[in-house]
Amino acid sequence: MARAMMRRLVFGLIAVTGVAVLAFLLEFVVPGDPARAIAPRAQSAAVLANIRAQLHLNQPLVVQFASYFGNLLHGDLGMSYVQRQPVAALIGPRLADTGALALAGVLAEVLIGGTLGVLAARHDRVRAAVGAVNLVLLAVPVFVLGLVLLLVFGYQLGLAPVAGGAGPAQIVLPALTLGLIGAPWYAQIVADQVQEALASNWVRTAVGKGLRDGYILRRHVLRNVLSPVLTMAGMDLGSYLSGVVTVEVVFVWPGIGLLAYNALQNLDRPVVMGTVIVGAVAVVAFNLLADLARMLADPRAREEA
Amino acid sequence: MAGRPAGRRPWQLLAGTAVLAAFAALAVAAPLAGSPLRPDLTRGLTPTGLPVGPSARYPLGTDLLGRDELARLAYGVRVSLTVAIASNIASIAIGAAVGLVAGFFRGPAEQVLMRLTDVGLALPYTLAGLVIAAIMPAGLTRVIVIITALFWSYPARLVYGEVLRLRRRGFVEAGEAMGASGLAVVRRHLLPQVTSLMLAYSPLNAASAVAFEATLSYLNAGINPPAPSLGNMISDGQAAITYRPLLVIAPGLAVMALTLAFLLVGEGMKTRDPDARRLSWLGR
Repeated sequence: MARAMMRRLVFGLIAVTGVAVLAFLLEFVVPGDPARAIAPRAQSAAVLANIRAQLHLNQPLVVQFASYFGNLLHGDLGMSYVQRQPVAALIGPRLADTGALALAGVLAEVLIGGTLGVLAARHDRVRAAVGAVNLVLLAVPVFVLGLVLLLVFGYQLGLAPVAGGAGPAQIVLPALTLGLIGAPWYAQIVADQVQEALASNWVRTAVGKGLRDGYILRRHVLRNVLSPVLTMAGMDLGSYLSGVVTVEVVFVWPGIGLLAYNALQNLDRPVVMGTVIVGAVAVVAFNLLADLARMLADPRAREEA
Repeated sequence: MAGRPAGRRPWQLLAGTAVLAAFAALAVAAPLAGSPLRPDLTRGLTPTGLPVGPSARYPLGTDLLGRDELARLAYGVRVSLTVAIASNIASIAIGAAVGLVAGFFRGPAEQVLMRLTDVGLALPYTLAGLVIAAIMPAGLTRVIVIITALFWSYPARLVYGEVLRLRRRGFVEAGEAMGASGLAVVRRHLLPQVTSLMLAYSPLNAASAVAFEATLSYLNAGINPPAPSLGNMISDGQAAITYRPLLVIAPGLAVMALTLAFLLVGEGMKTRDPDARRLSWLGR
């Protein structure tokens, strides 16, 4: 198991390095001059040349890459062109807000999807209804659902704040949006797994032994459901941490996604690169954690590894 | 239909096709609805400069600039359908080629291609889409390139798995034992199977493409104003959400209905074709 985790860790590091290299190269593909972005109204060529020298943009590409990478290893993501602050300092506080939203969203989707899934597995009629709900939820783009929730609960009913910002009242609608969008996946997996477990020999044996229903459900059914749900929740957490751009834009939630969106509108490349790299780290780290959690919860996964 | 046993066609397929046909008609007839770009400053706006509500002249009312919302919707649907078709074909063609090569020829090509596919599957779509958008001029081409670049990896994975499964089957081994060249085996034995799998996958892929186009355009990373797209119409309409929610709801419903129609066609094909049953919208 330790060896399998090491292998994955190495693959993860390679992936993050790849993203970092891509992000660096991107700087040179994006049209536009960073010096112009910093000093849009600068008239003299000397000023622009000065800025380029300050950013080491007049150095050969290899030298620039080496210093960029060295800084990266020290946690230095560079300076924002527009906000004149270290990128890491911009991302740091927003990471907490995005983290809160990601956690609330994953919790919501596990709860909504899990409930739908267990209901669907127990009754055939409900299964058809849940299938229809799933299909509709799958067809709604995130931002449309977000706007509809905002319109109904925010503007019409006045139950939720519409102003944006991060807080316990503001988190409800964006988390619900993520939860509803993610729920079909969980519902489907939970329904399949519960049905499979209920039809299995071990559950029949457990029933034959005269074990209580609640115990069978906990010990023999839900245990089997747990492993794929954990994997999916971990992966979702990672991908939400990399910025739930659309939801953050709709609800003006001040997280990494909104930061990346604004930075792209402003051609603030260091910030874009920083968010992409932090996002990649989040995705890789949480995929690893999801694997680890699955191995701890499911002996079969330990054997596979 | 005479001779055909009742109930052979799943209702999902019929319903989905009907909705798609209606949208296609709307897209083709778009010029009849009027100009999507010209503001009507006399009858398209109230005396105080607000958009007007639905009327005989403007069935869906006008947008904030006094432009015909129905005409914009029709042209927006045109964009959605074009993107769905073009990026669907491109991403599936690339994905199938990658999966076939990796699965059939194995070796180093397999390693490189499948690791690339893994990276593609792990990318956060929206963020990656925004980044590609930053390096291209706005427009239809940008949307199609972004969607193709992000959507090829899933079909690649599907085809790769299918080829690995087929390779162990008798007919492929027999073909190889008879001395058929690799290319001949791919063409005669693998391609037909892979084609039917990809045909079954394409409506699901198209559904995702429609939704993602709307998302990109909503985020200013796809079709940019003044050209209409369902996504940027929603983004424009947001400013009027308190007093004219129809400007958000109409394009929002259109995106949803289009996506749902593609999903239904996919579901319908799934119940018809036993091969496709393994496929599910869970893939995305």
